[in-house]
Amino acid sequence: MPDLKQLYDAVVSGDAKTAQLITKEALAAGIDPLKLVNEHMVPAMDEVGRRFEANEYFVPELLISARAMKGALELIRPLLIARGDKPVGRVAIGTVKGDLHDIGKNLVASLLEGGGFEVLDLGVNVSPEKFIEAVNAKQADIVAMSALLTTTMPAMKTTIDALTQAGVRGKVKVLIGGAPITQKYADEIGADGYSENAVGAVALAKKAVGVA
Amino acid sequence: MTRRERVLAHLAGQPVDRLPLMPITMMFAGSLIGARYRDYCTDYRVLVEGQIRTAEAFGFDYVNTMSDPAREAADCGAAVEYFDHQPVALVEGQSLLADKARLLSLKVPDPRGGGRMHNALKALELYQQRVGKEMIIEGWVEGPIAEAADLRGINTLMMDFYDDPAFVRDLFAFVIEMELRFAREQIKAGADIIGVGDAAASLVGPGIYNEFVWPYEKQLVDGIHALGGRVRLHICGNTRQILEGMSRLGCDIIDLDSLAPLTEARQKMGPDPVLLGNLNPVTILRNGNPDDVTRAIAECHRQAGPRFIVGAGCEVPRDTPHENLRALCAYAHSHRP
Repeated sequence: MPDLKQLYDAVVSGDAKTAQLITKEALAAGIDPLKLVNEHMVPAMDEVGRRFEANEYFVPELLISARAMKGALELIRPLLIARGDKPVGRVAIGTVKGDLHDIGKNLVASLLEGGGFEVLDLGVNVSPEKFIEAVNAKQADIVAMSALLTTTMPAMKTTIDALTQAGVRGKVKVLIGGAPITQKYADEIGADGYSENAVGAVALAKKAVGVA
Repeated sequence: MTRRERVLAHLAGQPVDRLPLMPITMMFAGSLIGARYRDYCTDYRVLVEGQIRTAEAFGFDYVNTMSDPAREAADCGAAVEYFDHQPVALVEGQSLLADKARLLSLKVPDPRGGGRMHNALKALELYQQRVGKEMIIEGWVEGPIAEAADLRGINTLMMDFYDDPAFVRDLFAFVIEMELRFAREQIKAGADIIGVGDAAASLVGPGIYNEFVWPYEKQLVDGIHALGGRVRLHICGNTRQILEGMSRLGCDIIDLDSLAPLTEARQKMGPDPVLLGNLNPVTILRNGNPDDVTRAIAECHRQAGPRFIVGAGCEVPRDTPHENLRALCAYAHSHRP
């Protein structure tokens, strides 16, 4: 029987190899995959988020922890899907049309995944049509948009307007973030939420799907 | 005293008639002359015209050559995307050093080889002809972590610090060689000050900053000084955790973003370094009113003390109301250090 504390430690310290190894051993030993996620990996990513907020971790540490978590999740997710387990929620995330700056978006995506969400990462320079497609074809509950530049942030409004025109605005919560974004701007363009940091974005997403 | 004399005297610790004024403008300057930003990035004549007219209209003490972070990377052969109305951007999905082995065969590009760096040198030569006696002329290079991120991909570089520290050091050494060669040509072409932009340094903590980034930033700063240039360091983002290291670099101007309070910087850096900044470019300068701007810059001045230059925390946004920028400038024009 593997020591599952090691899975928690491996995610917190960003040790991808150990995280995968312990996960494999645990699954082979018949441990419930959902238990691995909820009792070890989610708390580990919570701790990573806490350290990030407390300035004990910075972007490199957060990214290697997220990589360790993703490696383990790759082994677990097919099992959860096969037995019909549902994620906390489904988030379609991307940087808006015209914006290629994705590091903030990647931090949020990683922490959302660590919080039990299924993340549909649409990448950078994402058109309104792609967000709409994610809502229609993949049943995303949340559309999360990021922009680094004052010149690209108007694409957030364009995307929200396009969601409305496509008749899907009522189906999703829209969350936005990025250096030039403010709560005032979020209110002006009719977004459902704004967070100035990645940890806050996860809390916002949980609230949006009614789990917090 | 001329604008140039004012800045140089202030940096040397001599008395000046008023606070120097050096806000960063790029898209704002392009927009002021009705230029497409694509042209501002690719045609030095457009950049020079935009900068000089902005400096004249608002009474800045300097002009710069900054337009986007992708100048050197483009000359190295990195994939970059040009936009009509926003800065040139790196395409991370096709990063030049996705394969680390490629660093071994990567050559430092010739700054006078007809590429984007050459375009910046032509801008400096034109500045020298047009305003060289009057204004401070500032060139620009990317710092070690910012340029390494441009060449390798920022997401990957962040993990390289843990996965392959030796590669990171080799990459930083390449960057410093390239940037010093570029800086030498810029100083020859007439730059008084070299701006060093090391944006990604605010993404790492003090551990990685001190171990990896600082030694190469120091080489760059010392190298520029040895070439006879002065250094303005600008790191976008929250630098609170690395302020102490930044102060030991020996830069002539430390230009702080709005997330690092000037009080804290002054406390950690001591009374001597010249601090520049740092009101919030979006919430105050772009979204506020002239009174907000005046109050905020007066507070910055109070916190920084006399070794201070007026500017915003980062680039003045393109759609900043002119009366707000005028309020910022009026503060400098009407106050002594």
